[in-house]
Amino acid sequence: MAAASSSDSDCGRAESAQLFPSSPSNEASSKWLDAHYDPVANIHTFSSCLALADLHGDGEYKLVVGDLGPGGQHPRLKVLKGPTVLTESPLPALPAAAATFLMEQHEPRTPALALASGPCVYVYKNLRPYFKFSLPQLPPNPLEQDLWNQAKEDRIDPLTLKEMLEGIREKAEVPLSVQSLRFLQLELREMEAFVSQHKSKSIKRQTVITTMTTLKKNLADEDAVSCLVLGTENKELLVLDPEAFIILAKMSLPSVPVFLDVSGQFDVEFRLAAACRNGNIYILRRDSKRPKYCIELSAQPVGLVRVHKVLVVGSTQDSLHGFTHKGKKLWTVQMPAAILTMNLLEQHSRGLQAVMAGLANGEVRIYRDKTLLNVIRTPDAVTSLCFGRYGREDNTLIMTTRGGGLIIKILKRTAVFVEGGGEAGPPPAQALKLNVPRKTRLYVDQTLREREAGTAMHRTFQTDLYLLRLRTARAYVQALESSLNPVSVTAREPLKLHAVDWRDSDGYGTRKKTVCFSNCGQPGG
Amino acid sequence: MTKLRSFRRHCLLPRTQFPASAESQKPRLKKGWCAVSLSQEFPILEKQNWLIHLHYIRKDYEACKAVIKEQLQETQGLCEYAIYVQALIFRLEGNIQESLELFQTCAVLSPQCADNLKQVARSLFLLGKHKAAIEVYNEAAKLNQTDWEICHNLGVCYIYLKQFKKAQEQLHNALHLNRHDLTYIMLGKIHLLEGDLDKAIEIYKKAVEFSPENTELLTTLGLLYLQLGIYQKAFEHLGNALTYDPTNYKAILAAGSMMQTHGDFDVALTKYRVVACAVPESPPLWNNIGMCFFGKKKYVAAISCLKRANYLAPFDWKILYNLGLVHLTMQQYASAFHFLSAAINFQPKMGELYMLLAVALTNLEDPENAKRAYAEAIRLDKCNPLVNLNYAVLLYNQGEKQGALAQYQEMEKKVHLLQDSSSLEFDAEMVDMAQKLGAALQVGEALVWTKPVKDTKSKHRTTSTSKAASLQQPLGSNQALGQAMSSAAAYGKLPSGAGGTSHLTKPPSLPLEPQPTVEAHPNEASAQIREK
Repeated sequence: MAAASSSDSDCGRAESAQLFPSSPSNEASSKWLDAHYDPVANIHTFSSCLALADLHGDGEYKLVVGDLGPGGQHPRLKVLKGPTVLTESPLPALPAAAATFLMEQHEPRTPALALASGPCVYVYKNLRPYFKFSLPQLPPNPLEQDLWNQAKEDRIDPLTLKEMLEGIREKAEVPLSVQSLRFLQLELREMEAFVSQHKSKSIKRQTVITTMTTLKKNLADEDAVSCLVLGTENKELLVLDPEAFIILAKMSLPSVPVFLDVSGQFDVEFRLAAACRNGNIYILRRDSKRPKYCIELSAQPVGLVRVHKVLVVGSTQDSLHGFTHKGKKLWTVQMPAAILTMNLLEQHSRGLQAVMAGLANGEVRIYRDKTLLNVIRTPDAVTSLCFGRYGREDNTLIMTTRGGGLIIKILKRTAVFVEGGGEAGPPPAQALKLNVPRKTRLYVDQTLREREAGTAMHRTFQTDLYLLRLRTARAYVQALESSLNPVSVTAREPLKLHAVDWRDSDGYGTRKKTVCFSNCGQPGG
Repeated sequence: MTKLRSFRRHCLLPRTQFPASAESQKPRLKKGWCAVSLSQEFPILEKQNWLIHLHYIRKDYEACKAVIKEQLQETQGLCEYAIYVQALIFRLEGNIQESLELFQTCAVLSPQCADNLKQVARSLFLLGKHKAAIEVYNEAAKLNQTDWEICHNLGVCYIYLKQFKKAQEQLHNALHLNRHDLTYIMLGKIHLLEGDLDKAIEIYKKAVEFSPENTELLTTLGLLYLQLGIYQKAFEHLGNALTYDPTNYKAILAAGSMMQTHGDFDVALTKYRVVACAVPESPPLWNNIGMCFFGKKKYVAAISCLKRANYLAPFDWKILYNLGLVHLTMQQYASAFHFLSAAINFQPKMGELYMLLAVALTNLEDPENAKRAYAEAIRLDKCNPLVNLNYAVLLYNQGEKQGALAQYQEMEKKVHLLQDSSSLEFDAEMVDMAQKLGAALQVGEALVWTKPVKDTKSKHRTTSTSKAASLQQPLGSNQALGQAMSSAAAYGKLPSGAGGTSHLTKPPSLPLEPQPTVEAHPNEASAQIREK
């Protein structure tokens, strides 16, 4: 099953490989074992929809994929064991995020699986539907509510309703419901029917989940109970209680969250970083209802990963930035191509934490802070990444590609990521020879001739030049006298006759050309 | 207190658990979620906004457009974010007018959103309608007072409208709200446009302090220091830039040209290799490589490289100047004449060019025109003593002792002036020649060379004893002049007419510095010389 389809290399060798793309990477010196590659696995997903967990409590870790399906048409929940799909079930809507978490203390300690999709979080236990959490309805605009109540009692005609709603939309802080917005779009004749059809319904405002992550409740242990943290389209962050599924905390953001990163415990102290659609990253703490710090990226973030205490952000400007938890910029690394996805690589046995970034040029780069640790080359651009325990193997890297392929690699137990190996040093281009144009024997001979007879050459050249000018001038005068000179048709565009000599300054004065331009003078020029 | 709390909890739990159990039973029976419908009449407008955004930031525009289309169909064009991203994609694809219209639609859908207005303004800006853009930005600023981006972009618009005062004000506002590298760069640019180097440096210094790893800032600051002649700092910043990005084209060229000034030709050449790989068609690069070879006395290679530079940038007078210089050294005076006269056509305001032309003419046995060229050089260049010295040598060799003496005294004056104002070291070759001429003119006792001058670069400029000719031999023999000229090249551009400021040796051609404006009208004097 294993196929040597992709290769990886250390950063030092990565450079040389760039220069000699044909050189095959040495399988023996690679840090990774190719466990599985299926180019037609038909998995289309994002890193946020990948999760690894021991779902059955049998010590065999499974891969959970919230699959969007080809073209986002057939969303499915897939559970993989090794290279094979264990179960596959259709989903009602596209999954925005998947997470596994422990819901309660009692044994057996099997983690639950949460899938965020639309306005709901679907919770599975033992791969069976267990609970559905729906986001609470948003409070409707009271004015709007009032108007529809009036419509219900037929106290207001559709045209006035439209005008009033229009007024609310222009000013109000609270946006209108879909019902009202639809109504505003209607033609005059359709309004009556619409109102009579919908007036009895209460107006609703519903939002959707954009991102989800987990946060330990009160213990820092690996197998502690975790809360779900949701980011919603109406610019809020919600923390859910893992047992009762009530909202424990609500925080508001200035923009819609896209990526979340949380550290700490909910009951003690936690830090929440939310990368938002306005290109900013907001950092919140336990007691803050509003963001405490703000990082302005001036580009869209494409990934957010926390490595120890450093927030690593990938931006659409093809670069990775490191920030402190207070929002101070630490470093920037430029990538060779656009970043598609990012995730954390954590090797527990060696205490290593690093960032993996899947790039558009088919590379997966692994960085610890600014240092490039490893480059994995894949046959297709990697769009989602996940690292962790899979099956019974501790350090497994799971990648899915743009074309729907699945790549599984296992980090060799002997593999050590060396810091600074091959880092710095001169760029490889410095070793290349300069392409200095060669000069011929003839050139050297000519040079010698010029040295000997430079003065004569110069004089001949100058004489010829004057003769040339003289001839040109004579021809010009002759043309004028015999009225053969070109005449402009319009008075506004006078015709100018230029006699320009092009002396080919090849240094010998041996070649001469005469080019007579008669060009139409521009008006005023 | 504790009692109350526990009571509350008891009260809460059943309430919240009730719907949970009620809902969770249903799917359990049906083995899936599909049966659970939301029973909603209208689809949620923002249902797939997250997906649109994820596709957009991955630059997967095709997938993004597909989702947008679907979403807009489903919501009958009401989904603001879908329209917004569609407009962004249009703009990236270059359809700015379409993007502008879509952003305006967004602004209609939610008039209270500053972001939509910002994008409308941005599209207007890209269409070159700066005034309209400013108006919309001002509208947006009313909705959101604390957005650095609005202030920054307003500043940029004002730059394009040449209202630098207002631009500065807005950019400072932006910096006050939130500091960004880009704002610093723009602010620096304004100062450069106004010709205020010191202020620009001040700004860039602050910028580098704020973001010490930004290679663009470091390089620009380095180049500014280079322009001011503060070499230590220039090298420091350029070096820093190269540490962070060893392939930075601008920084390598600038650092390389500084190395050349110090005679480290081999180091400079190694650095240039990187650039040659990245930007193989850069005229300044090949010019500098050529001058490196010239420094290493590999004249043929120098000419090859310079000719390539000239081929890539035929209107660059600096390259022509260097070509003229190398050909003078190669004793190819006829060729040198052509290159120099071409250079003069492009840059008629530089004394050194006329001086070199005069040297070429002297060697082409045309002393009359040579004298004219010298006269022009002296007219244009008020502080380079070399011009007078060379002129004096010519006059002496022509037997015009009076004229030679006048020029010699003129040279002494300039030397005094330079010594007073700066610690400039004179080239040994020049000093030597001046002393000899002084002796020949019998004014030798009044030696102006109070400081014994050590030429640090003597290994590159052979001052062979055989050339130090006796008095009987005509002074300023071809070789000697050629040598003197090679040092003249190192003087680069002395600001003609401006006496007093510190002049140090400059490389023959600095990369990427603002070129002096070449005036269009032909210089009469140079024309005369060529006519004869």
